[in-house]
Amino acid sequence: MTDFRLRGFSRLQAAAQDPIGYARSWKARTGRPVIGSFPMNFPSELVHATGALPLIVQESRTPITEGRSLLPEFYCSYTRSVADQAAVGELDVFDAFVLADHCVQLLGAADVIRWAKPETPMHFAQFISSMDDPWSGAQVRDKVDALRVEVEEIVGVTVTPEVLGASIRLFNSNRRLLREFYDRRKSGALRISAGELQVLVKSSMVMDIEEHTSILNDMLDGLDVDSAAPASLVRLHLSGHFCAPPRVELLDLIEECGVLVVNDDLYHGTRYISTDVPETGDPFDALATWYLDRNVSAPCGTRVQRNVDWDSYLVASLEDSRADGVITLMAKFCEPLMLYYPELRRVLDDRGIPVLLIETEHEGLAAESVRTRVETFVERISRKKVAA
Amino acid sequence: MTLELPPTRQSLDLSATKFITPEKPDKSNRLASTKAGGKMVAQYWENIFTAKERGKHVVWYNGTALNPIFQAAGLEWCHGEAFSARLAAMHLEGPAQAAGEEYGYIGELCSYARTHLGCAVMTQKGITEKQSGIVGMVDQDELAAKLPSPDFFVNAYAGCSTGQQWDAMTYRVFGKEFPLFNVSLPMIWGNKKDSGYLRGSEWEKTPLYVEEQLKKLIEFIEYQTKTPFDWDALSENMYYIKKASELRLEAMALCAAAPTPATYWDWVASIAPINFLPANQLLVDYFQGVKDEIEQRIRDNVSAVANERYRVYFDGIMNWNKLGFLTRKFAEYDVAVVAGRYTHDSFWQEPDLIDLDRPLLGMAQHYLICPINHGLKIMEELLLKRCDEYGIDGIAFHSTRTCRAMTNPQHILARTAERDRGIKSFFFEGDVADASFYKDESLESGLVAMLESIDQQRSKARV
Ligand code: SF4
Ligand code: SF4
Repeated sequence: MTDFRLRGFSRLQAAAQDPIGYARSWKARTGRPVIGSFPMNFPSELVHATGALPLIVQESRTPITEGRSLLPEFYCSYTRSVADQAAVGELDVFDAFVLADHCVQLLGAADVIRWAKPETPMHFAQFISSMDDPWSGAQVRDKVDALRVEVEEIVGVTVTPEVLGASIRLFNSNRRLLREFYDRRKSGALRISAGELQVLVKSSMVMDIEEHTSILNDMLDGLDVDSAAPASLVRLHLSGHFCAPPRVELLDLIEECGVLVVNDDLYHGTRYISTDVPETGDPFDALATWYLDRNVSAPCGTRVQRNVDWDSYLVASLEDSRADGVITLMAKFCEPLMLYYPELRRVLDDRGIPVLLIETEHEGLAAESVRTRVETFVERISRKKVAA
Repeated sequence: MTLELPPTRQSLDLSATKFITPEKPDKSNRLASTKAGGKMVAQYWENIFTAKERGKHVVWYNGTALNPIFQAAGLEWCHGEAFSARLAAMHLEGPAQAAGEEYGYIGELCSYARTHLGCAVMTQKGITEKQSGIVGMVDQDELAAKLPSPDFFVNAYAGCSTGQQWDAMTYRVFGKEFPLFNVSLPMIWGNKKDSGYLRGSEWEKTPLYVEEQLKKLIEFIEYQTKTPFDWDALSENMYYIKKASELRLEAMALCAAAPTPATYWDWVASIAPINFLPANQLLVDYFQGVKDEIEQRIRDNVSAVANERYRVYFDGIMNWNKLGFLTRKFAEYDVAVVAGRYTHDSFWQEPDLIDLDRPLLGMAQHYLICPINHGLKIMEELLLKRCDEYGIDGIAFHSTRTCRAMTNPQHILARTAERDRGIKSFFFEGDVADASFYKDESLESGLVAMLESIDQQRSKARV
């Protein structure tokens, strides 16, 4: 059997499509708490080590209703959706929330949750976003401790180094398996759409990690090499989109335009699975190290680091995947991406790498106009390839 | 009742006449003493523009008021937001914003950031053109192109991730040529039950961490300037800041009087002096002058708004394009805007924290109490405190389009004020430095509706 889709993919898809439903049934099945965390830097291993389910709160597809009067409409779709979910009671399944990030809009959404659900514990361990200062490491280590104390208190369990070490190994092996799918796609050994890959990564943010890993193992087991994709397809890298996944319809639409997506740096993609937590030494130190390492292996526009650039990382990754161009997906109103995008574009322009910017919104997708723009972009690249 | 209109050949589109209001008398009565501040600020910038010719080291910085440190180190300091605000207030932000746009910064990005990044692009272009001998923007008389290029950057942004990332980008615009120092200011989020304004374990611990970073900042500056830091000068600077701040607060407190002798708009005009002008006797004299004038007004029974009928609190960053306009607009409706989050909860607003023997700690504490650096609980506490102090009837929320840091809690704050004090509010759209986001209809209709509800509330209370 070669089709990975026949081996548990639908279970991953169900969890990716309805994370809250998954959380409810997991809770009913295990009787254990569910702790909501937020993108993009929270170390889920810490919650896992308490026996609770760490679940990264996802953007919901439902239209914003109550949340409209809690956050202005000029906020990114992720934060508006989270505020809305809090206001309409969608987040009631969570026993606590933990937050380790610093994007100003996300903080607004977090305050809405605190206001809407005052009885639910919420903890913000602000991980320093300036990554290469002499005090950065110690600061993150301090915050990991603060988080540990908090989650221990919430769940009523002490996190020992041994148990945390075991959780770290589980998450690392899950990330390794996900990277295996990426590597096979890049080498042409596996034909998997960007939307399907997103399901694999997104479900790993939601599901019990052991269950997820076992499904991934099953999917990879005995997978045959696919026939190579037609060389006529334009090879593209998808860039950008923090916090929430771009719509699968959008990814499908892009691929329908004669494109082979060969890599990405999306949060619901390479960014999330880029870095493993060190398995030797003190596991609490290791979580701090992971945070700092991550911005080196997949630099993020929300972090500040002098000796690391997203743009040079992107160029190197394009060379590696032999991508012909870049589509940047920007969640409308996402300031970190708005700030960084000109630098990305400048570096790509300097190297003659075509780039197309597509802005995404919570409600709807202007499918036809996006299709036209992608088609034109693809044609431009094809002509360039022929001329070369 | 339906409106019967006779048959007509004329267009029935009445919108052209709808918004034309006859010239209204200006009912606002601004302080005269703040004009001196305007002059001081203009001189300050003129001085900055010649910094390079005078062989001075120039630091570009964003965020909190680090200027007493820079002053003690003998630097010239350019504050990013301040310069963007100045350009906007003078309606000269266009060229910088166009340069930013050309570079790729889109209109939904913080307008301070994109204006200042535009200045960076122009300044950088100026450096290149000077080297190549091409005559460009720098030689034109455009304010936006006049900033001297930095020798290094310092970022110390509280409560807003955009601020820090903005400098990370400015650093790149200048080709990473100039060193950048980051001071990380953690939010006072209020994780613990004991947390509150200036209290709780989070508050006790966090300033110590910031104080350590400030010491490192000073080492960094010493390294850059190759000059030992003058600690005595820092204490002296903080002495003047403390004095000026005390006078400012005493003068603000006098505005609890009804009718108020000065308004929020006067305090807005006094932001630049307290926020970044050199700390010296002139600064103290300025605030003494403001306080004296207010006291005189109280003695003479002079109010800042003719026929004050409503006392309003302003929440949101200032709309710098509209300072004079908004002053007149609110006064037109007999509204005295008495206090605001931007003016009253920022800028050395707790002088008691300043310890001249340990100046860095007090500075760290101030940097952390920036009004966008608190969790909701503290913001609710501060808002209610101000409403009580100034006898506030209503709140104007400036839905500051590109400043999410300020808009984050606004909707919940509005609900809190209504729930806990029965205080009405309204929202209007605008922005810090981008005039295109301002909507007059949104201000006009919101304000009128709020004043009507206040009237209703009052008549019910009388029954
Ligand atoms: S990083 Fe972007 S997408 Fe994420 S919360 Fe911030 S603004 Fe929204
Ligand atoms: S968004 Fe607001 S607080 Fe943040 S950098 Fe811009 S003006 Fe400052």
